[in-house]
Amino acid sequence: MTTGIKALLSTWQGRFIAVFVLVQLLLPLHYYLARKDHHDERFAWRMFSPMRMARCATTVAIDDKPANLGGEFHEAWLEIASRGRFSVLEAMGARLCTKYPKSKVRLSIQCTYLDREPQTFGGYDMCTVPYL
Amino acid sequence: MAKQGNRSNAESRQARRAEARKAERSGGEAPAARVPAKPTSEPIPEPKFWFGFEVSWAKLVLARFVIFTVLAIDSVLQISHAPRYGAGGFNVAQVPGLDAIGPGRLGFEVGQLVCAYVFILVAFGVATRFLIPIGAAIYGWLYFGSQLDSYQHHYLVVLVLLIACFIPWQRPDGAEPATRIRTWGVRLLLVQLGILYVWAAISKMSPAWLDGRTITGQITGPLRSVIEDSVGFKTAARFALLTELVLAVVVWMRPAWFIALPVGLAFHVGILASGLEIGLFAYLMLAFYVFVIPDRALVWLATRAPLRGARWAIRAARISNPVAAASAVLLAVTLGVLLARFTRFESAFEIAIVLSVVPITLLIGSRLRGGTFVVPWLALAHVVAIALWLVLDRTTTTAIDYYRFWGGNARRLGEPAVAEAAYRRLTEIAPNEPNGHFQLGRILIDGPDEDAGLRELREAQRLEPRRARAWIAEAQWLARKGRTAEAIEKAQEAVLSEPTHPSARELLDTLSGKKSASPAAPARDDDGE
Repeated sequence: MTTGIKALLSTWQGRFIAVFVLVQLLLPLHYYLARKDHHDERFAWRMFSPMRMARCATTVAIDDKPANLGGEFHEAWLEIASRGRFSVLEAMGARLCTKYPKSKVRLSIQCTYLDREPQTFGGYDMCTVPYL
Repeated sequence: MAKQGNRSNAESRQARRAEARKAERSGGEAPAARVPAKPTSEPIPEPKFWFGFEVSWAKLVLARFVIFTVLAIDSVLQISHAPRYGAGGFNVAQVPGLDAIGPGRLGFEVGQLVCAYVFILVAFGVATRFLIPIGAAIYGWLYFGSQLDSYQHHYLVVLVLLIACFIPWQRPDGAEPATRIRTWGVRLLLVQLGILYVWAAISKMSPAWLDGRTITGQITGPLRSVIEDSVGFKTAARFALLTELVLAVVVWMRPAWFIALPVGLAFHVGILASGLEIGLFAYLMLAFYVFVIPDRALVWLATRAPLRGARWAIRAARISNPVAAASAVLLAVTLGVLLARFTRFESAFEIAIVLSVVPITLLIGSRLRGGTFVVPWLALAHVVAIALWLVLDRTTTTAIDYYRFWGGNARRLGEPAVAEAAYRRLTEIAPNEPNGHFQLGRILIDGPDEDAGLRELREAQRLEPRRARAWIAEAQWLARKGRTAEAIEKAQEAVLSEPTHPSARELLDTLSGKKSASPAAPARDDDGE
């Protein structure tokens, strides 16, 4: 076994294979062990998983007035937001904070799932705390 | 001893690289100077699992053609998504820090057209060692540059293209269909598929999948009624998980390919019938199953008369005269530009002109290095690649959707001038599509060129006599102008054309004074994605 691994690592092709396979085996593990946003199933080969059925209603208020996200972001981003992907929602918050300086951008998502209780994220000023 | 072995391995690798470079210099499907087929008697470096893996040349050619043709088609069909990119100046990349280098609308469109072109050349076996890395780099940029199209499908394509850079797709010297080609790249690709299946199965090991709830909410196609009327969703869900676990084990193990082939094909055909919106993902997965078809079946097929004749014709069709070769390539380039002229994708014509450099460069490069390209094959690949743009443009709504979505985005994001330009182009390329005329009319009627706006709305009314929206738009405009009698007339037309439209009746009642004005119900825009 050790001889096989040594032989594999003795060529650049072998090292490439080793790194590739290791990354592919371990990267999805990141979703289960370390990812704080379970809505974000990228790089984890979670095709058609129950999480795919999650639906999140996004609410944004700028200085406590409801904002129309349809006039700010393309609908494809809103679709991703409706799946609750934090990285996109946080970027949306950051964008709105830049566009409306000195305003309070309150962003929250209310998510429903097939296999767990509904959850709410955010609800605070994203310009102060830019993470969900 | 070990050092000696390593040195001889290194020398052998150097020799092989030199031979491969020599072969690459001659390029094409059947160049004059070819890398000798690696004799199967050559000692297999350890570990044999990777470096002793062989497939027949017939299988490699078929896989190359099928996989890269599917990728090319997929690339062209992706163009309808281009307007998302860069819309509103917002982007989130797959990897933090890359937001700024994400593609814009035009960059995405051009990138996909170039990818489609490159993939067809690769499918034809042209300069694969150069073109696959180029295609992989462009596709990688499009994928990693934005989360907009972040399905697993796109991620898999990135990985497959990376692996494909290391697969010897070009024909070794004297290779025949039965010649064994040693390729760790194909083994890695199959192992990658195994990894994909095992993680996909793990993601389904939850009560919400196992009791059938998830699959019930996802399947919509003809498969839904089949499942409902037979085993039920709970059993189907468990069977899908079991199938993925089986495929995870058998897809990369040659002795188990007799299981992988029928199970994998049935599984992915089933996904095709499930109505899931996953683009060409199932087709791509099916294409990978070429690798698990028994070699002897493909060799048998490749040695039948029609394919034997085709192979002979390809190898025989050489043009050694430089003037004749240049003329053939110039003819192909001209034909390519002409085909692109009739393609309705934005900038396709200009891109085709730039891509003309590819066959010319390959020919010149080959000549300078003393090789001979199979010129007709190269020319054919170039023409087919651009013909694919045209065929997919004219047989699908990709180009129409591109302008429709572009106009819709711009309109919603408050860029009327951009929206007007997109809708103008839409009405040019698809004059019988009512949506372009309606949206253009709506924009123009609120600007200085009201007459042009009215003309567009009336064209929409003519093209969609059973929809009220263009009549409503004209009636509202007339009402704003104080021409109430004419507005009522148009509102009546709206009700007649689409009696169930919520706004049509309300507008008529309001204009007739039967009801006080209330906020209009939102119109169906038909320009959203």
